[in-house]
Amino acid sequence: MASPNKPSALTANEKRVLLALSKIKSADLQKLAIASGLQVDAAMQVAFLLAKKGLANIVEEMLALYSLTPEGELHARQGLPEQRILAYTKDKPITLSELKKAFADKEISIALGWLRRKGLASIRKKDKKIIIEPFKTREKDLQEEILRYLLAHQPEDLASYSSATVQELLGRDLIRCTERTSRLIAITNEGRKLVRKGIEIEEDVGQLTPDLIRSGEWKKKCLRPYDIHAPSMRIFAAKKHPYQRLLDEMRQIFLEMGFEEIRGDIIQTSFWNFDALFQPQDHPAREMQDTFYLDSKGELPGEYVRNVKDVHEHGGDIGSTGWGGHWSKELAKANVLRTHTTTLTIRHLAENPNPPVKAFCIGRVYRREAIDATHLPEFEQLEGVVMDEGVSFRNLLGCLAEFYHRMGFADVRFRPGYFPYTEPSVEPEVHVPELGWIELGGAGIFRREVTAPLGIKHPVLAWGLGVSRLAMLRLGLRDLRDLYNPDIDWLRRYPISQLSDGKNE
Amino acid sequence: MPVITLRYDDLEKLVGADKDPILKQIPMIGADIERIEDEYADVEFFPDRPDLFSVEGVARAMRGFLGIETGLCKYDVKKSNISITIEKSVKPIRPCLTCAVVRGLHLDPGSIESLMTLQEDLHWGLGRDRKKISIGVHDISKVEPPFVYKAVDASMEFVPLDFDKKMSMRAILEKHPKGVQFAHILEGAKRYPLIADAKNNVLSFPPIINGALTAVTEETTDVFVEVTGIDASVAMALNIVVTALAERGAKIESVEIASDGKSVVTPNLSPTSRKLSVSEVNSLLGIALNAGQIARELEKMRFGAVARGETIDVAIPAYRADILHNWDLIEDIAIGYGFDKFKPELPETPTIGKTHPIEDKLALLREIMVGLGFFEITTFTLTNERVHFDMMNRPRAKATKVRHPISEEHTMIRSILLPNLMSVLSQNKHVEMPQRIFEVGDVIIDSKDVQKLAGVSTHSAANFAEIKSIVDVVLRELGLEYEIIESDDTAFLEGRRASILIRRRNIGVFGEIHPDVILNFGLDHPVVAFEMEIR
Repeated sequence: MASPNKPSALTANEKRVLLALSKIKSADLQKLAIASGLQVDAAMQVAFLLAKKGLANIVEEMLALYSLTPEGELHARQGLPEQRILAYTKDKPITLSELKKAFADKEISIALGWLRRKGLASIRKKDKKIIIEPFKTREKDLQEEILRYLLAHQPEDLASYSSATVQELLGRDLIRCTERTSRLIAITNEGRKLVRKGIEIEEDVGQLTPDLIRSGEWKKKCLRPYDIHAPSMRIFAAKKHPYQRLLDEMRQIFLEMGFEEIRGDIIQTSFWNFDALFQPQDHPAREMQDTFYLDSKGELPGEYVRNVKDVHEHGGDIGSTGWGGHWSKELAKANVLRTHTTTLTIRHLAENPNPPVKAFCIGRVYRREAIDATHLPEFEQLEGVVMDEGVSFRNLLGCLAEFYHRMGFADVRFRPGYFPYTEPSVEPEVHVPELGWIELGGAGIFRREVTAPLGIKHPVLAWGLGVSRLAMLRLGLRDLRDLYNPDIDWLRRYPISQLSDGKNE
Repeated sequence: MPVITLRYDDLEKLVGADKDPILKQIPMIGADIERIEDEYADVEFFPDRPDLFSVEGVARAMRGFLGIETGLCKYDVKKSNISITIEKSVKPIRPCLTCAVVRGLHLDPGSIESLMTLQEDLHWGLGRDRKKISIGVHDISKVEPPFVYKAVDASMEFVPLDFDKKMSMRAILEKHPKGVQFAHILEGAKRYPLIADAKNNVLSFPPIINGALTAVTEETTDVFVEVTGIDASVAMALNIVVTALAERGAKIESVEIASDGKSVVTPNLSPTSRKLSVSEVNSLLGIALNAGQIARELEKMRFGAVARGETIDVAIPAYRADILHNWDLIEDIAIGYGFDKFKPELPETPTIGKTHPIEDKLALLREIMVGLGFFEITTFTLTNERVHFDMMNRPRAKATKVRHPISEEHTMIRSILLPNLMSVLSQNKHVEMPQRIFEVGDVIIDSKDVQKLAGVSTHSAANFAEIKSIVDVVLRELGLEYEIIESDDTAFLEGRRASILIRRRNIGVFGEIHPDVILNFGLDHPVVAFEMEIR
């Protein structure tokens, strides 16, 4: 490939680095930064750019770096024990017992070995005394030289020192070695040729400024090009919770289908949560082990109490047998954390008994369940009702099929179900390729025992869908708890698009 | 919900069909197949259909559904000449009783097991865990009629089932596993119910345990069935048990029950009747069947049905507990017709969708907060006073506590959001700074839902100025005029905390979280926070 390089095509920083390299031939980044007068990361950026242009080479090599151990640092400051002992002798023979007055036993035992090995002194026995006699001519102590060097430069490579001495220091546990990848940058022949052509540094511009733009100066300046492939800093886009996004998607579907959104209190009387829905007062779902009861009691809606009592006790006047037994007003007053959002739709219908009513809500409901990966004591439910003259079971299936299709489930089927307040009851199921048919809620037509006491004259199509199962499918979660115990990292990394792409996968 | 084990050999014999078409169709009568094994399948049935809690009952329904035998099942009831007297003494404790005799059983371990589970499932469902009804099935050859149902002293002794020596009734309630389990039903009673024979041999101690004497074994051919309870549902339980046994070819005989000088004969297996009009069926289901077709679907579901012009006379078998209203029949017509045959159709009336104003407001807040770089989180509304008050350095205030919390972590419903945000931060200590999160949602104040918004920001340079800017921009975006005054909220640092006032009403607080609170949540970086009520 023909070289496109001309000195004029280089940025000022590139020129600086190339000039520095031409002087020092090759260097690691630190040295290159110093030689070129750039910051280390800038020097690296430029080095990569030069390498791409074939003007420099970057060689990665493993570098052994040495630093002092705490003991090594002590000796680097005070001198090695053998040198300190030598200094103490003042070049005269000295007995071991004298030495022991000034030095610790441990230091002496280390020092004696090294005095001999380094040829610094002779050690002999005379009259049962051990005499240490320093030699007159001594070589300089390479070990100490390295220690002092490291004290000033650590961590540093010791390539210029004798490897035997380095090994001795490692053996004495005075220095330690760590390995690091080092990039060595060297100038290429091409680079040298370019430098020989003569390089003149003129200031180039990193950041475009208002001044440069206004004055037109930018035309004269060299705007430093970026390495467009250099990694950029990772930042995150704040967003609403993926679960909320999914709930909004469902809200949107019902709004588009002409439903009015409703809302209501979490705390409800048993009357609205159970009795108005024709749940017998001795029904197991009403017991303490399934429902969160509160100490407080609520007011009963006077206009309906009589009718609800009648329908429970003997079926009222709609041709029902009722549940028999006695219906207690007191039990109906007990406040609970709503166990389903049906409590909101039934109240809405009682307040709006004239057709047509199409309403939905998504709200938190509470069940007294121990927490595990698939059960939580609180979760969202999606509830919908249609009340109109002449609506039928087929219309119920129509609403459900439409909703699931819009949620991205192509295959929907219906099986008989059972819910205490609907008749007929149906369990809609959707097909998920890797899971097969899964149940996603319950639906039905409100029993006459539910609607008649509240003055509702037309059939009410109703459904309650567990949203959490859908959420797990769509968000790819295995543990429901993850929805309510947010992992900030997950929220940051979870792409907004994933939810819309995740349909029916 | 009851899960019934259907052994294939038994099921195939009782239905008169191969297991595969049966298993294929079972979900379409209203059941969930839990598991399919080589020898049997476990199937869950709905609690409103106790007549399906036995393989015999399922077989009866499936014969109809598969078209093998349709219409009302007729069971002959002969008189047995056996009688039982209800003594006045037992009336205040457990007044209701129905009985029958079933003869000519050929029991094997499988059918005994099936009978036992049927009883247990009926105890659970219809019987509300034996409170409303309890059933005893006895080998009648071991005892001598006439029988008596009476209340006796707790010192009365007999050998209970599963034990081999006599125990007093008091001891049974204290020591026998069933006694311990169900003693609460008899709480407060001074005397206990007992069914005994002419020689005072004990058949049962309802609703606790039977006597060992009359235990049913493979040798048993004739049984005495008694159901005691507190209301008329005792009749339904008896009907379900005896018709299930009759499905195996046994003969049902009636028992005369004398009480207060009057007597009744049970079981009463005569069907009840209802009239359906063609139009109410078709308008509810949205289809167009004629009277004959409707009658055929009902017969498939084992009702008696006769079409007369535009009405159908329906005879409801005595074992069906779920037919309270005509619509219950219409559901069975739909099931007989086949849910898969209904063509879904959207309702015709056009309506206009409308969001709720509170949801609109919440969406607005989300938009503002996300625009400010805060991530939304969702948390539980159930919490506890330790996190809600103590860890926040705030005095314990009035809380909405639940009566039977499931754990120490969830004893009350939140009235503020901030502690949850702090908990989230403490779970995300390892995550890169800065962290900025918010939550918007419901809290409970004075038993009513109130919406709040809270946000926190944590990083090494978080300070009052930052959070003040956030609060200011949120309120400006909402178009709200506000003033701020010094706050005394101990969750925040003195001199670095403020209350938000709108038209002199305190709606929230912001500032630098107190270092004690930061440490309580196991954090170490500065945290600034705000919380405000949304109106």
